[in-house]
Amino acid sequence: MTLAIDSLVVGYGKRTVVKGATLRVGKGELVGLLGSNGSGKSTLIKTIAGINRHSAGTITWDGTTDLAGLPRRELAKLVAYVPQSISLSFGLDIKEAVLLGRTPYFGTRPSERDWQHVEQAIRLLGLNELGDRAVTELSGGQGQRVLIARALAQNPKILLLDEPTSALDIRYQWQTLTIARQVTRKNDVAAVIAIHDLNQAARFCDRVIFLNDGEIIAEGRPADVYSPELIKTVYGVEVELSTHKGFVQIHPAADHDEPQRPGHLAAVHTSSVGESRLQAQG
Amino acid sequence: MSSTQTDPYLADAVSGEPGSSRRRRDRYAYQNGAIVLGIAAVIVTALVGIQIGTSGATFGHVLGTFYAKITATPPTERAALQIQNIIWELRVPRIALAILGGAALAIAGTLFQGLLRNPLVSPYTLGIAPAAAFGASLAIVVFGATAGSANIPLVIGALLFSFLNTALVLSLASARNLNATTLILVGIALSQLFGALTACIQYFAQDEVLAAIVRWTWGSVNNSAWYQVLVMFALLALTLPYIRFRSGALNAIAFAGDDSAKSLGVAVSRVRLESIAIAATLTAVTIAFTGIIGFVGLVAPHIARLVVGPNHRFLITFSAIIGALLLVVSDAVGRLVISPGVIPVGIIDALVGAPIFLYLILTRQKAIE
Repeated sequence: MTLAIDSLVVGYGKRTVVKGATLRVGKGELVGLLGSNGSGKSTLIKTIAGINRHSAGTITWDGTTDLAGLPRRELAKLVAYVPQSISLSFGLDIKEAVLLGRTPYFGTRPSERDWQHVEQAIRLLGLNELGDRAVTELSGGQGQRVLIARALAQNPKILLLDEPTSALDIRYQWQTLTIARQVTRKNDVAAVIAIHDLNQAARFCDRVIFLNDGEIIAEGRPADVYSPELIKTVYGVEVELSTHKGFVQIHPAADHDEPQRPGHLAAVHTSSVGESRLQAQG
Repeated sequence: MSSTQTDPYLADAVSGEPGSSRRRRDRYAYQNGAIVLGIAAVIVTALVGIQIGTSGATFGHVLGTFYAKITATPPTERAALQIQNIIWELRVPRIALAILGGAALAIAGTLFQGLLRNPLVSPYTLGIAPAAAFGASLAIVVFGATAGSANIPLVIGALLFSFLNTALVLSLASARNLNATTLILVGIALSQLFGALTACIQYFAQDEVLAAIVRWTWGSVNNSAWYQVLVMFALLALTLPYIRFRSGALNAIAFAGDDSAKSLGVAVSRVRLESIAIAATLTAVTIAFTGIIGFVGLVAPHIARLVVGPNHRFLITFSAIIGALLLVVSDAVGRLVISPGVIPVGIIDALVGAPIFLYLILTRQKAIE
C-alpha cells in the first residue's frame, strides 16, 4: 500500500507554491519533509489532507483510490492531519478533544466503538494519566500528544504531521517524534512529517524529501542525501557533516559562526538527540 | 471505507477502561438531567411571570385560562372572562416571546461564538443590531410607527436591514473566503456604518420621533402579539433540528479550527455559512419583534458552558434554556420594581446579566476560557 503523489501543482491565486511534486510513501514508513520557510512543506501536507486544492497532478492511495475524488468524510477516514499546535478556544477535556477524531464516523452521537477508539488512542499516547483535564490546562507537549491521539482516533492509513515539534522544547520534540515513529511502525500507516530540524529528521525519519521553492530537489535516506552542497542550496548556510551512532549529523561550518560569536562559543547539536553541549571554538 | 475494516488500534485493545463507560453514562445523565431541570425551571418561572401584574390574576386563573383554551369552554362570569383575556391576550404572548426570544438570542450567541471561535462575540457582532436599529428608525420616521409595538412597518424595517446586513456579510464571506477574524472586523465596520446612519436620523428627527427610536432600542416584550410568538416558534422548530444535526461539525470548527475541521471531514465553509445564516435570522427576527436586547446572547452560552460543558450537542439546548430563563426573569423583575410601571426587559437584562457575567469572569475564568 503506497501513497503516490504525481506531478502535483498547488497555488494560492497566481502564486504557485508546489511545482510538480512527485513522491511515494509506503505503509509503515515515516518520511520527513524538509525545506526552508515558505518552500511549500505545509502546503503540500495540507493538499494531501484535502485542506488545500491542487490545480494539477494526482494523489492516490493503493494505486486506485484518488484522494481528491473522495467525499470529505471518506477522505477523513483515510487521512489524518496533525497541525502545529492545539486550538485553545474553549476548554474541552482530553477525551472530548480526542473524540473529535471520530467526527467522520458518527452523526450526532458517538457509539461505544467510537469511544473505544478514543480510549485506545489515549492509552497509546499515555494521556490516561492526565485524567479529564481541559486542553487549556495542558503543556505544549501534552497538547501535541492530544493532537496525535485525535489523529489516531481517526483510524487513518495516512498520517500527516505539519511541523508538530515547532513550538516544543527539546524534550517534547523528542517525545513527539518518538511517538510519531512508533505509531507509524506499529500501525502500518504511511506518514509524512514536515520538520525543520535536520538532525532530528535524520534520527527519526526513514527517508527525507527536500523541497526548494516548491520543487523536490532531493529524496532518499538521510545518510545518502545530506550533503553540504544540498544544505547550502536549500538553506543558504555552510555546514559540515559527521556521523554518530550511525546517524548523519549536521553542524555549522567551522568558520560559519566566528564573526557572530565574539565569545567563541557556539551551541552545537550532538548526535544524541535531546542533548547539546557548548563547544569552545578557536 | 468503513470503520469495520482493519482496525489496528483496536487489535490489541481491551474493550475500554474499566468504569469509563459508566462514567460517560453518568456524565450524559447529568447533562440530560440539567436540560430537564432547566425546562422545568422555565415552565415554573413562566407560570409565575404570567401572574405578575395589577389584574390580580392567581395561579388558579392561569391554569383555568389554559384549561378553558384547550377545552374551548370560556367562563361565563364577566370578571373571570376579563382576567382570562388579560392572561391570554397580554401575559401569555409576552412571556412566550420572552422565552422564545431569549432562547433564539442564546442559540445565536452560541453559534456565533463557536463558528467564529471567539468567546467574546455575541449575536450582534456582525452588525445585525445597528442595522435593525437603522431599519426601525427609518420606519418610525417614514410611517410614524410606535416603538415597542407589534407595528408591521417597524418590524419589516428592522427585519429588512438586518437581512441586508447579513446578506452583505455572508456574500463577502462566501466570495472572499473570509476567516473568522476578518468576519468579526467586517461586522465591526458595518456596525459603525449603520450606527452612524441611525445617528444621522436621530440628529435630524423631531423630539417625539427621537423618543420613539430610543424607546425601541431599549428592547421590550411589552405589547407582544400572538403572530410574533407563532413566527418565533416556527423559526425555532425549523432551525433547531438542523443545528442539532450539525453539532458534531460545530464542535470540530469551534475546537479544532478550520484546517483541522476540514481534515476531520467537515465542509467548513458550507456549515459556517448555513449556521451564520440561521443565527443571523434568529437574531434579526427577535430584534425586529422586541428591539435590541443585549447581553443574553453573550452571557447565556457562557453560563451554559459552566453547567453542561462546551460540547454543542448539549450546549445549544442548554443555552436556549438559560436565555429563556434570563429574559423571563428580567421581564418579571422589570414589571415588579416600579409596579405598575414597567422597565423594559432590555435594560433589566443588562442590569441582571452584567453582575452575573462579572462574577463568572472573576470566579470561573478558566472554565469560561
